[in-house]
Amino acid sequence: MANILVCDDDKEIVDAIEIYLLQEGYQVFKAYDGEQAIKILKENTIHLLIIDVMMPKLDGIHATLKIREYSSIPIIILSAKSEDSDKILGLNIGADDYVTKPFNPLELVARVKSNIRRYTKLNNLNTENNALFKVGGLCIDDDTKEVSVDGETVKLTPIEYNILLLLVKNCGRVFSIDQIYESIWNEEAIGADNTVAVHIRHIREKIEINPKEPRYLKVVWGVGYKIEKQ
Amino acid sequence: MGDKKNRFRRKLRTFLNFIKHLLIAAAAMILCAILLSSVVVIDGKKYVLNTSDAQAAYEDSALFNTFYGRSVADIIRFCVISSQFETDGKFDGQKIIDITAYNYRNSVLPEQYVTAGYYLEDLLKWYKYGVEKSDEYMTYQELASFLADKTMVTTIDPNSQYYNTSDAHYLKSDMDNYTFVDSVSANMLPSNDYGGYYDETEGNIKVNVLINRYKSVEGKNIEAYTADLQNYYVLCDNLELAMNNLDYNYNEYVNFKMLYASGNTNVRYCIEKTVDGKTQYYTNMEDAPSFNKLRDEYKNGFRYIYYSPSEMIYESNTSIDEDTVNGIIKTYDYAYPEDTKIWIGVDTSYPADDVLAQGREGYQNYLPHSWQWGCVVVGAVILYLLLFVYLTINAGREIDDEGKVYTRLTDFDKMPTEITAAVLAALVAVILIGGNIVNEIYMHDDNIRLGYVKNSYLVLTLAGLAVFVTDVVFGALYYSIVRRIKAGVLWQNSYMRKLARICKKSAADAYKNSNIIVKAWLPYMLFVGCNLLGAAAIRGRDEIFLFIFVFAIDIVIGAMFYGDMRERQEIIKGIERICDGDLSYQIDRTKMHGDNKALAEAVNSIRNAIKNAVEVSMKDERMKTELITNVSHDIKTPLTSIINYVDLIKREDSDNERIRGYIKVLDDKSQRLKQLIDDLVEASKISSGNISLNFEKINLTELINQTIGEFSEKFDQKGLNIVLSVNAANAVIEADSRSIWRVMENLFNNVYKYALERTRVYISINNTEKGVEPVVGSVELTIKNISATELNCDPAELTERFIRGDESRTTEGSGLGLSIAKSLTEAQHGTFEIQLDGDLFKVILTFPVTDRVMDQTEN
Repeated sequence: MANILVCDDDKEIVDAIEIYLLQEGYQVFKAYDGEQAIKILKENTIHLLIIDVMMPKLDGIHATLKIREYSSIPIIILSAKSEDSDKILGLNIGADDYVTKPFNPLELVARVKSNIRRYTKLNNLNTENNALFKVGGLCIDDDTKEVSVDGETVKLTPIEYNILLLLVKNCGRVFSIDQIYESIWNEEAIGADNTVAVHIRHIREKIEINPKEPRYLKVVWGVGYKIEKQ
Repeated sequence: MGDKKNRFRRKLRTFLNFIKHLLIAAAAMILCAILLSSVVVIDGKKYVLNTSDAQAAYEDSALFNTFYGRSVADIIRFCVISSQFETDGKFDGQKIIDITAYNYRNSVLPEQYVTAGYYLEDLLKWYKYGVEKSDEYMTYQELASFLADKTMVTTIDPNSQYYNTSDAHYLKSDMDNYTFVDSVSANMLPSNDYGGYYDETEGNIKVNVLINRYKSVEGKNIEAYTADLQNYYVLCDNLELAMNNLDYNYNEYVNFKMLYASGNTNVRYCIEKTVDGKTQYYTNMEDAPSFNKLRDEYKNGFRYIYYSPSEMIYESNTSIDEDTVNGIIKTYDYAYPEDTKIWIGVDTSYPADDVLAQGREGYQNYLPHSWQWGCVVVGAVILYLLLFVYLTINAGREIDDEGKVYTRLTDFDKMPTEITAAVLAALVAVILIGGNIVNEIYMHDDNIRLGYVKNSYLVLTLAGLAVFVTDVVFGALYYSIVRRIKAGVLWQNSYMRKLARICKKSAADAYKNSNIIVKAWLPYMLFVGCNLLGAAAIRGRDEIFLFIFVFAIDIVIGAMFYGDMRERQEIIKGIERICDGDLSYQIDRTKMHGDNKALAEAVNSIRNAIKNAVEVSMKDERMKTELITNVSHDIKTPLTSIINYVDLIKREDSDNERIRGYIKVLDDKSQRLKQLIDDLVEASKISSGNISLNFEKINLTELINQTIGEFSEKFDQKGLNIVLSVNAANAVIEADSRSIWRVMENLFNNVYKYALERTRVYISINNTEKGVEPVVGSVELTIKNISATELNCDPAELTERFIRGDESRTTEGSGLGLSIAKSLTEAQHGTFEIQLDGDLFKVILTFPVTDRVMDQTEN
């Protein structure tokens, strides 16, 4: 199984995370500041790093920067800082994911799994298939009508599948509710209808780890929906 | 390094300056020398030397010729005059002068004339005393007895050789030999005319009587020579004229005698003429040599002429020719008979100091090559000017270590400008006045002029020294001024500047301290007064200058008025901008004057005060937000552990119902705490303006549909049924996507939390024309639901922070939801209104729609 390094100056948080990860069968290394984390990283084979930002000696941002000089392992930043600017900074300096405290333990575990899968397996995926659409860890095989996120197969209803396929095919483009309705149902959208919105929420719940902070299927409020380019 | 170079530059300049002084002094000296040596000044007359005979001997020069020729003329005249006064080479006071014949000496005597003879000395003395006359009134008888019985008429003998010839001249011939005297009665005169003076009927005749101081040779009064009044007057006139001429000639005679006495002149002469067989001999030579001896022996060592018309001989070793001499003699034709011999020579050893000797001295001092020297002067002056220009350009010029050129000022340059200027002006004045004085003296004082010529070396030295000193002083002052101008301190160091500043300041003070009436009315009255004056001037005839003056004043006042208004405009503009919230705007008051300046300053300080206040309050808000954010981070960390460990406990399968209940409470409350913290941070951020909004076009209908989609499951749980009605043609607004979602999320959460279960929620979107200004059309979103609990509070309170519908305080939610929604709505130019009607809870949001026209312009 994969080795995971958890780094936080709060010992109890590290211990709690360790419990969750051990239950999932991961081997856990523990560090309480940035310097320790770097040291452990050098001495052991680590597959994923969970790191706090505000820590003594060397903070998470600087540690991430240093690690990125020689390693490409998935890094999840775990921070009490929940501002957009904090998240953007963290992702920009090389972190793969950003989870704010207080976090849902299950969400954290899901993200860990997802990142490890992506890191270890997805890199080798065969992409020669023309009917294969890929956005980050999201993968749609139009031949088999299969959808997978980070290698995990997701079950969607036909309408949900069609909506997702439309959005993935036109990755980055924003579709309004009416546009989606017209292209999926092949009917003219008359009047307001929240059917599409409900379907979208269902898709999000299925493919996103945290539907409220979607990674793939984003809501452009007041305009429509889109699949974010990764 | 730079210092050394600068010292060298300074030394070079001093050296060049010295050279310059020498040049101009030398030029002045040479110029003086040229002027002095090209002119000979003798007895107050200037003789310009002719350059062409500069190389010739003095005796061949034009100068010599001038002097010599004048001497020749003088001597010829001297002989003539001498013959009038001398007998046998001596002055003869007893010489008898026939007055009428004397007066006719230059022309032909009439055949008959009336005359009288007087002694020479009597006539000379009489004229010195003065001729007196008196008017007397006589009867015919008295006149007859006053005048002689007969007129003494002298007649030229018609048989004599001189009759009717021009040779019948006094002095030239013995007149006694060919004239005779008759006594003729009055009525026998050829011209028996009394000329109106005689009138028998009147009885009294006015007679202008000459008072006889001296009697004639015959011992008679003048009236005794004539019987009629006309001849009496003629005779009196002749007597007076003869006296006048004799006096003039006597003065000249004395002068010449002195001038051409042998010791006083280098001119020697011998003149011999024969009158009536008597030989007259005039000379200033002691031994009176014969003409043959003169012609033989005095050939060498003398420049001379010998002229003997009767022998047809003219000899000379001068450039004076026969015609010239003959011309002079012809003037005195009456005094020179044919057999005249004239020898006039100049002793070229110049034993006497006369004009000829002085001329020789001047001539020998003549500077050869004068035009070459003139070129030297011009060259020196040109070089001087070049140096002058060079030194002017480089005056005070120094270069510091960084290679920057600057002007070095001496202590002298730091003196006030006026003093330097005054000294300079005084110097110029001294030069001008001094030059003028010297010129005046030179032109009018013969002795000094002669002295100058004689001591030319002293003159040259003095001139050179004067010019040198003048140039030194002038240069020092001039370069000082130049350095000041370069350094820009000419004006700065002047008293005038100080005076101007004092004037300006006192004027400004006076204006500042004067009261409003003076400020407003005084300039206006001046203006009106000037114009009235101008109007009066136009009525006057040629006061055009006054009119122009008044017009100029009007223009100046107009310009001032304009300037004043423009400044005020600036201030108004500044106030407007500050009103519009541009607190960084500063009115430029440096160019303002008087009250406007004070006003601008006041506005600026008000702006500063406002700016400070706003900044302080903004800072406070930001600090508060920062504090809340930081505290929230510190709370979140332990909260994380709580949530995690509560979750872990939840996973331990506990059969104990009670424990499971406790854990549920812990779980809920920790989740609520999390929500509370997030809302708190958000609310503080919004209120401190610490959020950045990214405005884009939002379709409100789309947004509502999306929101309903998000909440459909939640609402279904509570059995809430949404009734949506969209009646808006245009529901596109300008808003920030995330913020508007936050507003909707909060509103829908509010409905979810507090709406009565199994009721309908009415949502409507309508276009309205009222509300937000400017009215470009707006869209209104209304959400209505039935509250689960009784709403007994003021609607406004619901949007206050931490206010919730009463009993629900203990349930989930922070109570910040509506407050945040309201703040965010307002931040996006919308209005947020809550209406309560019984259990009906109604939220109305209004946003301005984006104009279609605006859409097009944006695209």
